[in-house]
Amino acid sequence: MVSERQLEAIKGAKVLMVGAGGIGCELLKTLALSGFQDIHIIDMDTIEVSNLNRQFLFRQSHVGQSKAKVARDAVLKFRPQMSITAHHANVKDPKFNVEFFKQFNVVLNGLDNLDARRHVNRLCLAADVPLVESGTTGFLGQVTVHVKGKTECYECQPKPAPKTYPVCTITSTPSKFVHCIVWAKDLLFAKLFGDKNQENDLNVRSSDASSSAHAEDVFVRRKDEDIDQYGRRIYDHVFGYNIEVASSNEETWKNRNRPKPIYSADVMPENLTEQNGNVAKNCVVDTSSVSAMASLGLKNPQDTWTLLESSRIFLEALKLFFAKREKEIGNLSFDKDDQLAVEFVTAAANIRAASFGISLHSLFEAKGIAGNIVHAVATTNAIIAGLIVIEAIKVLLKDTDKYRMTYCLEHITKKMLLMPVEPYEPNKSCYVCSETPLSLEINTSRSKLRDFVEKIVKAKLGINFPLIMHGSNLLYEVGDDLDEVEVANYAANLEKVLSQLPSPVTNGTMLTVEDLQQELTCNINIKHREEFDEEKEPDGMLLSGWTQAPPAKDDKQSMNDKQSIGNGGDSSNALQTEPADAVKDGEMEEISEPSGKKRKLSEGSKASILDATDGTRNHKEVEKLDDDDDDDDDVVMFDDLDSMTNKKKRLQ
Amino acid sequence: MAEPKTKYDRQLRIWGEQGQAALEKASVCLLNCGPTGSETLKNLVLGGIGSITVIDGSKVEVGDLGNNFMLDESCVGESKAKSVCAFLQELNDAVKAKFIEEYPEALIEMNPPFFSQFTLVVATQLGEEKMIKLDRICREANVMLIFARSYGLTGFVRISVKEHTVVESKPDHFLDDLRLNNPWPELRKFAETFDLNVPDPVAHKHTPYVVILIKMSEEWTNSHGGSLPSTREEKREFKELLKSKMVAIDEDNYKEAIEASFKVFAPPGIKLALSKVLQSADSSFFPFSIAIGRPWIF
Repeated sequence: MVSERQLEAIKGAKVLMVGAGGIGCELLKTLALSGFQDIHIIDMDTIEVSNLNRQFLFRQSHVGQSKAKVARDAVLKFRPQMSITAHHANVKDPKFNVEFFKQFNVVLNGLDNLDARRHVNRLCLAADVPLVESGTTGFLGQVTVHVKGKTECYECQPKPAPKTYPVCTITSTPSKFVHCIVWAKDLLFAKLFGDKNQENDLNVRSSDASSSAHAEDVFVRRKDEDIDQYGRRIYDHVFGYNIEVASSNEETWKNRNRPKPIYSADVMPENLTEQNGNVAKNCVVDTSSVSAMASLGLKNPQDTWTLLESSRIFLEALKLFFAKREKEIGNLSFDKDDQLAVEFVTAAANIRAASFGISLHSLFEAKGIAGNIVHAVATTNAIIAGLIVIEAIKVLLKDTDKYRMTYCLEHITKKMLLMPVEPYEPNKSCYVCSETPLSLEINTSRSKLRDFVEKIVKAKLGINFPLIMHGSNLLYEVGDDLDEVEVANYAANLEKVLSQLPSPVTNGTMLTVEDLQQELTCNINIKHREEFDEEKEPDGMLLSGWTQAPPAKDDKQSMNDKQSIGNGGDSSNALQTEPADAVKDGEMEEISEPSGKKRKLSEGSKASILDATDGTRNHKEVEKLDDDDDDDDDVVMFDDLDSMTNKKKRLQ
Repeated sequence: MAEPKTKYDRQLRIWGEQGQAALEKASVCLLNCGPTGSETLKNLVLGGIGSITVIDGSKVEVGDLGNNFMLDESCVGESKAKSVCAFLQELNDAVKAKFIEEYPEALIEMNPPFFSQFTLVVATQLGEEKMIKLDRICREANVMLIFARSYGLTGFVRISVKEHTVVESKPDHFLDDLRLNNPWPELRKFAETFDLNVPDPVAHKHTPYVVILIKMSEEWTNSHGGSLPSTREEKREFKELLKSKMVAIDEDNYKEAIEASFKVFAPPGIKLALSKVLQSADSSFFPFSIAIGRPWIF
């Protein structure tokens, strides 16, 4: 079926696969069956049980082992002659530098987070190696091709980052269940079981300033304090006292329903000592199977607990942490696969929800929200893998005209399940592939260099090992080869306000930020601004310069940067998306004939679909994920049965 | 305590417990386990299908190793059905996997009743004559049938199922028909208690959006000869009209009304296609009579 030319190209190709998970397994298999001979795989993860419904190269017995390695072994079984090199490592590791990337004819991504994707994008640009990107979520999927100079790079169209919520919504005025989850996970759980030295917004900013000093001790268990008593004390503090304090602030509740304080004595009048028996019986050695649900006989994770049940679980889980996992307390970070942690967070979120009149959720649902879990199934990955290989072959043959971005829809629309679209030309304003300067509005007399580095350079630009220069003056850099004086100098610079730096940064200054590993250079024009809106611009700075590529005949840009399904890591503010008004009327644009590779019209129900992150992130900012109660979901009317629908996809 | 079915967690989030139960109750028969059939079954087995029966009369040849990843050198000479079945069983030991070394064509000719035991038959790489025969057999036995053929980069998948009723369709979005374009008496009375132009700004921004829509659509129909906005232009005008009634920028109720304005546009009654279905429907499904005038649709 394959031409001689294609066969030759395939046989001689050296391919890099990044990711050996859902897409990776299918991809490796398809590459092998298509005749590829030399493949490198990078994946830092190990196999989990929940992978087994789709990552078919893995078996139950492989749980805990390296995905890259097991995948390699599985494929070698039916293709013993292939050369497959497995790297059990993080693709962001410096050893995977531009030189490393240069050895490949094409790079194929099967990643699950935005951060890594951007990183690979930059390395591919620096090495001038074509990149085939992909992502899946449930029944949705997409494959895109990125060739330097010929098509857009992965970052030419900015990808909306996962939703974050203002701190005050989490600490004081939650209105959705997800807010309660974030509170329970990032504040309460972190406070009780995580690093005590970590800053924590758990205590409500009450008008009573003195209470915060006193509150510092509240969460620590006193010496020899009875565990039940401790549990109830915490319960009463966060669900009772804190709520009362918050409730007393008139201004906040003018237009909102006041929350109801909940005290343990009201919910659970009887003593819980009868539960002690269960804890004693529960002499499990394996800490991962310690469970409050099991203790209390609540078997079904899909059941929604009552306030009473949630309260019981809350206390029982707390107890079990101290009874069975004391050593971990102080070091724990939330892990969606940690049964007890999930139980605790679900219970806490539910009690808080009850307080604020928000509906309670089951463990299953809560886990999905807290763990940023993306629904996934084998078939979509299989389809996408097939499309990746098809594009990879075109890339190897440099069949530029044939490159396609392909979107796999959830439902057949206009008789098509797969929508191919021609790639766009590179975005001339893309700061990644065309080095256009960005603009940053910032208060140069108030913001420090550290703020700039954390909030802009790392968080927004995704540059992890930055080098910052003002003209020829080095303001900051990281590296192993710095001497003590330099390190001290840079550390001092971080604490200085921009206008006070050795080479002052003021209105009109141009800063250059580089990442040596990614070989990325970015110029930023600084504009001084005095005031920033606390709610809308909580960072106190505004970065601009991501512009859309030039619009075509119809300005349907909004379609393209519609919400992206959780891209993971990046905490940049989500871009403004205009409501697609035209779409609501049930009308869609036709996909027109290509004219070179100019900007296209809207492509029907195309959405930027990427796998959400599974990894745990350690952000101070209360970062969040998508929930399925999103008010933004549109309901679309069918004008007639044939017209296309455009629904914002519900996210898990 | 290991969560039951942690393995299926990610797909449970797509089709829920019910969907999973349906999968686990199903028994699937695969005819011909070439690459097409094998891939199909792989996805079903990974998902936890109840049972599979692989039917293929051929032996594994060296040529098969090139395109079927379930086979390796050690399988050459063995029954293909047996080898594929063994691989599939490994993917998920919760699935009951069986094989029969038999040519599907022969089965279709000689043993039609064989197929009645299955929920679904997946027939791959069959010739047309046999497909037609199989189709008849399955229809009579009320067994679902899927045909699939692939050839290079083309192929087809065809479902053959008797007309059946789906009661719980679980649409992705649901349209709540609030009867805004023709409110029932109590709703009408309720709307009448509001004055859209109330001077108090707090009251103004607390007028429920449903009331706003009812009143505005009434105003519209009065000035448009009794009909509701129907063209794109009119719909836009209607939204502009709503916008013009806002007195402050933070009036969420008006924003909600604008966003929900399509609920007013919905033409009353049921769609033509649905009427046809209702009219031609098997009367055993509709034990009660339906007044096809203005039914309530939930």
